[in-house]
Amino acid sequence: MENVKQISEEKKNKIQEMQRELDLLIRAIGDERDPVQKRKMSVRVDTLHRNISHLKSGKLMSREGKRDLVAYSFIAPNFIGFAVFTLIPIIFAFALAFLQWDGSNPVQFAGLDNFKELWTDTFFRAALKNTIIYCIGTVPLTMIASLGLAIILNQKVFGRGVFRTLSFFPYVASLVAVTAVWKMLFHPSKGPINNVLYTIFKVPAESLPQWFTGSLVVLSMILFSVWKYMGYYMVIYLAGLQGISSELYEAGSLDGAGTWQKFRYITWPQLRSTTFFVVVMLTINCFKVYDIAIMLAGGGSGELTPSGTVLVYYIYQKAFIDWKLGYSSAVAMVLFVMVLLVTILQFRGQAKYEKGEA
Amino acid sequence: MKKKLLSILLTTAMVATLLAGCGSKAAEPAPAAEATEAPAAEEAPAAEAAEPAAEAVTLKWAIWDKDTTPYWQALVDAYQTANPNVTIEMVDLGSTDYMTVLATELSGSGSDFDVVTVKDVPGYATLVQKNTIIALDDYISGAGIDLSQYAGATDQVTVDGKLYELPFRNDFWVLFYNKDLFDAAGKAYPTNDMTFDEYDALAREMTDTTFGSQVYGAHYHTWRSAVQLFGVLDGKHTILDGQYDFFKPYYDMVLNEEADGVCRKYTDLKTEELHYSAAFSGGDVAMMNMGSWFIATMISQLKDGGEYDPALCGNWGIVKYPHADGVEAGSTLGTITGLAVTSASAQQDAAFDFVNWVSGAEGAKVMAETGNFPAIMTDEVANIITSLEGFPADAESKEALNVSNLYLEVPYAENVSEINSVLDSYHGSIMSGEMTVDEGIAAMNDEVGKILEK
Repeated sequence: MENVKQISEEKKNKIQEMQRELDLLIRAIGDERDPVQKRKMSVRVDTLHRNISHLKSGKLMSREGKRDLVAYSFIAPNFIGFAVFTLIPIIFAFALAFLQWDGSNPVQFAGLDNFKELWTDTFFRAALKNTIIYCIGTVPLTMIASLGLAIILNQKVFGRGVFRTLSFFPYVASLVAVTAVWKMLFHPSKGPINNVLYTIFKVPAESLPQWFTGSLVVLSMILFSVWKYMGYYMVIYLAGLQGISSELYEAGSLDGAGTWQKFRYITWPQLRSTTFFVVVMLTINCFKVYDIAIMLAGGGSGELTPSGTVLVYYIYQKAFIDWKLGYSSAVAMVLFVMVLLVTILQFRGQAKYEKGEA
Repeated sequence: MKKKLLSILLTTAMVATLLAGCGSKAAEPAPAAEATEAPAAEEAPAAEAAEPAAEAVTLKWAIWDKDTTPYWQALVDAYQTANPNVTIEMVDLGSTDYMTVLATELSGSGSDFDVVTVKDVPGYATLVQKNTIIALDDYISGAGIDLSQYAGATDQVTVDGKLYELPFRNDFWVLFYNKDLFDAAGKAYPTNDMTFDEYDALAREMTDTTFGSQVYGAHYHTWRSAVQLFGVLDGKHTILDGQYDFFKPYYDMVLNEEADGVCRKYTDLKTEELHYSAAFSGGDVAMMNMGSWFIATMISQLKDGGEYDPALCGNWGIVKYPHADGVEAGSTLGTITGLAVTSASAQQDAAFDFVNWVSGAEGAKVMAETGNFPAIMTDEVANIITSLEGFPADAESKEALNVSNLYLEVPYAENVSEINSVLDSYHGSIMSGEMTVDEGIAAMNDEVGKILEK
């Protein structure tokens, strides 16, 4: 009994104290000149009001609390799904990079060991190198090819619809099927491409290019992916081109601008945000490359030699063949950081440009 | 403040339920496993005796390629006839990445397999290290199994004195040859006692590089084992050595043959993904080294309704592997396929009874009747195989099945999976000409050395 009394006594004191602060504040608020201070004070007044009424009513949960709970319950179904299938795995993957785990035995703490091991790992370095070369080759080439296609197919050329469909074809076609065709075309001894090199360009049989081994693997991968994905980015560019007002071109023509000048001073700046989107998507997709490498250079068994290995393949191999989940997460972190850095740089560039324009 | 509190509460609640979910599952089988493991030794023989009265049991068995491999169903049928109370449920995980899928299935606590087939030694090592299969030693001594019937194969997969699988299939490598091609060229057939030099010379003699009527004297599939492992047949080296200079003569031999058109180019094979069976059945390959599993394929595909054209490869034979100078003829490579009992299984006794039956004499008979090589090779079993319709009729081919020394392609070691990946990788580099033989071997020595140091 005494206890309850004490609590209620405490409560009463608290209410009084708050009431006093509230009164002071209300008086002070009228004299305040600075609008920022004024707003802060009125917020404080609100909070005090709410706290006092909460204490007085003695309810477990305030009206605001209930309102918030209802709101949370609305997003809960989505959020729980997101948490279970995305958020927790991501956090777990981050944690794994500093652990040692084989999926069954107890987890061991490894500190930075996984990352230290990376720098002496020949296969990791080969995978990193190949992935970076692949990106540097693929991103600009795909961008140029798809922009070129889009500009040509945005004009009133003969058979425009047919050509648009044709250039989108590779993107729709199944990867497995088209890699099989590429392998036939580039077959080191029976393929038509090497046959042309041999018969027409007189390249001796010993020095015919071995498209799927050695230093040429990455080149084959770049060529393939430019061919396969340019149609997709062409569609994005087409949409961007059609969003450019024709008045700009008209004005340009009146001022006597040539084709190149129109491209340089109207098309290219107007397409900036499209280009930004294309480059970010391309970069991310390039770092993720796995299927193309396996299908072109894997040779049935799906094993890649150091000249054709890529980061995602190495992550898979370390995780599910060797069951070094910690180490493979560390490799995944490197991939993550690289994609993050590139994207941040691009965002910065974009923001800077927009600021300069405004 | 409240929002924060609430979100913290929500997250902790979710994490807690997650952990609770994982925890309870992980904890469950543990006491059950202990309980069944302890009386296992006494119960195993008793279970066999009391069979008819036993209650109904369903065992889940992980296998691959159910439709194209005849022995799975044959084994299940025979076992179920002998044990009417047991139902074996087969789950087909596909052969391409069987061990990867299996290891994933057995990770964590969601698996309900009782018996799993172990396809290769690296995969076996993974399962053992992940504690997903149990040591069978108590069961083995309880059932009185004599491991010497496996001719030393089980010694090479023993882990710290414990055995986690019993082999039921044991394939070894032989040399397949196309008699029609030898007849057409007027050359003598290969023999059961050839050195590598003799083999190489014969392959070169058989080769015809005339465009349109090419004959390849030899064919090497793209696997590492088809070239590299000639080197371990002397019994002095294994692939776990960390020093691989003994591979060199064999890489040189094969690469020289490739340069002279004696065998198909590795890069071509890789690009077109030519299967070894397609190469041999095409009728332009005189000799091909391959595992004994190909015997069953040849027999079944040459029958009426099979895919191979008897005019191209119908007249075939086998001889023993070629051998290095001073090494006994009949030394060859082997691959064992084993059965293991999972640690998550709630019916380990019944599971072991099935494992024991399949890997024992009765299972061996069923295997032989389908043209496959059981792990227990007795004269009776050999007779069943050699008297199958479609098996080459000559005495040499029958003699070829007598193995003098069997070396596993990959014996057990802790890091065998990683060593395997490294060797596979540089095998590709050497064969495709990315690296010279010396560079490739040096890289193997370096990289495997790093793994062994750990």
